[in-house]
Amino acid sequence: MKGNQDTATLNVGRAATTAQEAAIVLVGNPNVGKSVLFSKLTGKFVIISNYPGTTVEIARGETRLDGEAVAVIDTPGVNELSSRTGDAQVTCDVLRDHPSAKIVQVADAKNLRRALLLTLQLAELGRPQMLVLNMMDELDRCGGRIDIRKLSELLGVPVVPTVATAGTGIHLLQKNVAVACNASDFVARAVAPSSGAAADYDRNVERLRRVNEVMGQCYTLDRPRHPTFAQKIGWWATDPLRGTLLLALALYFMFWFVGLVGAGTFVNFFEEVVFHRHVSPWAIHAVDAVLPFPHQHAMEPSEYKLEIPLTPTRGIALMTSTREVLSSKYNLAPGVTLSWWQEALRFLHDFLVGEYGAITMAFSYGFAIVLPIVATFFLVFSLLEDSGYLPRLAVMVNRLFRGMGLNGKAVLPMVLGLGCDTMATMTTRILETRKERVITTLLLALAVPCSAQLGVLMAMMARISYPAAAFWVLLMVGVAFAVGWLAARVHRGQTSDFIMELPPMRLPQFGNIAVKTLARLEWYLTEVIPLFILGTAILFFLDRLDLLSKITRVCEPLVKGWLGLPPETANAFLIGFLRRDYGAVCLLDAATGSNPTLSAHQVLVAMVTITLFMPCIATMFMIARELGKRTALWVTLFIFPFAFLVGGIVHRLEHILGF
Amino acid sequence: MKKPPHHYHLCPLCGFEFERTETHCADGCPMGRFCNLIRCPNCQYEFPAEPRLLGWVRRLFCREPSRATQREMVGLHELEVGEQGELVCLSCEQHSRRNALAVYGLVPGSRLLLQQKRPTFVIRVGETELAIETGIAREIFVKRIPREEAAFQ
Ligand SMILES: Nc1nc2c(ncn2[C@@H]2O[C@H](COP(=O)(O)OP(=O)(O)OP(=O)(O)O)[C@@H](O)[C@H]2O)c(=O)[nH]1
Ligand SMILES: [Mg+2]
Ligand SMILES: [Zn+2]
Ligand SMILES: [Zn+2]
Repeated sequence: MKGNQDTATLNVGRAATTAQEAAIVLVGNPNVGKSVLFSKLTGKFVIISNYPGTTVEIARGETRLDGEAVAVIDTPGVNELSSRTGDAQVTCDVLRDHPSAKIVQVADAKNLRRALLLTLQLAELGRPQMLVLNMMDELDRCGGRIDIRKLSELLGVPVVPTVATAGTGIHLLQKNVAVACNASDFVARAVAPSSGAAADYDRNVERLRRVNEVMGQCYTLDRPRHPTFAQKIGWWATDPLRGTLLLALALYFMFWFVGLVGAGTFVNFFEEVVFHRHVSPWAIHAVDAVLPFPHQHAMEPSEYKLEIPLTPTRGIALMTSTREVLSSKYNLAPGVTLSWWQEALRFLHDFLVGEYGAITMAFSYGFAIVLPIVATFFLVFSLLEDSGYLPRLAVMVNRLFRGMGLNGKAVLPMVLGLGCDTMATMTTRILETRKERVITTLLLALAVPCSAQLGVLMAMMARISYPAAAFWVLLMVGVAFAVGWLAARVHRGQTSDFIMELPPMRLPQFGNIAVKTLARLEWYLTEVIPLFILGTAILFFLDRLDLLSKITRVCEPLVKGWLGLPPETANAFLIGFLRRDYGAVCLLDAATGSNPTLSAHQVLVAMVTITLFMPCIATMFMIARELGKRTALWVTLFIFPFAFLVGGIVHRLEHILGF
Repeated sequence: MKKPPHHYHLCPLCGFEFERTETHCADGCPMGRFCNLIRCPNCQYEFPAEPRLLGWVRRLFCREPSRATQREMVGLHELEVGEQGELVCLSCEQHSRRNALAVYGLVPGSRLLLQQKRPTFVIRVGETELAIETGIAREIFVKRIPREEAAFQ
């Protein structure tokens, strides 16, 4: 930063009201670095990404000011405070609920005009406030200069320059919160009050006139002649031709890293080497030692091949090894009848390491198969989020999405849905109308596979031919469009305008990527693995109570008759109700496990059906929370029969398709 | 979806022709929705609506009125990529849409740069890159800023 480090702090006479309930609220335009500041101030983790609308719910934390703990609240970004538009609702509510909190407005120094427009609106509330000029590094780079002392004088509030990502100026900010005060009359004088929608516009025009006066006195711009490389990439990304190429490149990289390296190399290693050769035998030994009853476990071969994948079928083989390992299958010692006590031990033994055992099934599915996949996915995904590419994707697909009663913005939750459909359902809040939110939620639940499932499906794809894989992709896209198109016709609501801010392309920061990926993995471990264990337990008890075979028989007309799959796959669909990725893992096992029971065509049918299932129970609850129970019910009632319908149709097409 | 009928209005003061469907005069008018005044998006002049029948008659028998100001004022979609313009007015039918643009600093008098037209319009206002749909771009009227002049700002 230039020589304007010093901060003008004046008007102490009008200084803050005594804060009984000391709290500061971070308010500001979208994507200006509020969440970065929040986590620097409080040390708490919040999701930080390079697109407007990252934060959709408030976050609370604490910081120390002069040795005193003060509550800090992070809010969703807003462009104006009018509570008429839904997106400002959360922020307005926070301000209303904390009447004595100080307002710390965070601004993108490059976009001072938009920030000041908000400053004026905040000033009209007549509360102590201050302004943080964040991203001073980027202001420097684009040749802008702000006379901070002058700005502070004009506004009548403290102004602090910061670079949140580097931690510069945080200390100064903490010092200045104490002197936050009401803005000067020039700024705070309310613009002519009037009502109606037109008034918002008129008042903003008047405010902007004042903002321009302020800007004229303290802002100069001397833009460099040549655009930076990052800027150029940003332009290419929205260009019809180069943008498409870039998209194809990004998609292939993602497929390679997640589908081949993650779901191939890593899963192979964890499943065969870590689990099959070490964890399971060890667990079996341990359980046998603790819960003894006369039995003998069988041995089975374990083959491992280390390979650097290039394409789905080719790769550089580095090593292979084969070994005999202990299997979870066992034989009772001949001629022995078990006492009731031994039967009880056997029951527990089976619960832990049997065919549907918590360790042999839930842990190996959850940790060995799904964990490597989601880890690689979350990593790539964080990179994508932080680069600033996602909003540009929205520009590319806007036209397409119009057909589904959506606008380009809806691509954001859809892409986030590839990470986790439940989180993405919450992100639909960035969409403006209910119609858009309902349709996006429906499509998320129906046709956007989440990371875990995506990886498993990619692994299943290895069993089917290229045309069949292409057919699957096209069918999913086609179904999404068809359902979206129909929903857009059926739903009476409106679609909003497509006006979207494109953040600058930025080089992702290693620290943020690492922290974000780890936080998401932690979420996965604490929320998903327990569900896996629950699902396994349900299967185990159904199996023990002999209900599994009954259910299989009941489902036979549906599974065998309609879908043409082996009746045993019923358990996969059953468990798919809980989490569809878990169902997919069961199907993967049936397709590629030690004794595959599915033909290539059956794999395709199974893939189609399970992809269209509801993502998981958590998603259903989230839909109910976001859109109401009725909508959640309708979505559920639509999705399951529809999934079976499409699956059955694909099965009937076997002879026409020929794969 | 019902689309409101379009009628064109011609501003008697500046000759700007524009579409307008819903209400007319500035909000807060004591007559409320019965007030029949229309406001020109170009010069903000308020005038009574011309009865529709009269409009047909006028269009039938009179020559096209000369539109002096419209020639120097063009829709955003008529600018070339890389050209700069100064915003003259937003002729959006909905106030909310006008306001949605205003919060990005797009009000009469602000300068913008057209960065791309396809697949969606991308403009630059200050340091903000903004993607807007073609339909909205057509409702933004600008005055061209000659390149020489633009280079110095
Ligand atoms: N160069 C630079 N980048 C920054 C700075 N502060 C934040 N960023 C980046 O700006 C982006 C947005 O940061 P966030 O903290 O998520 O922004 P936010 O204001 O919380 O955004 P919303 O929650 O969407 O309103 C991230 O990619 C940050 O890395 C800064 O001072 N300098
Ligand atoms: Mg945030
Ligand atoms: Zn055993
Ligand atoms: Zn006029």
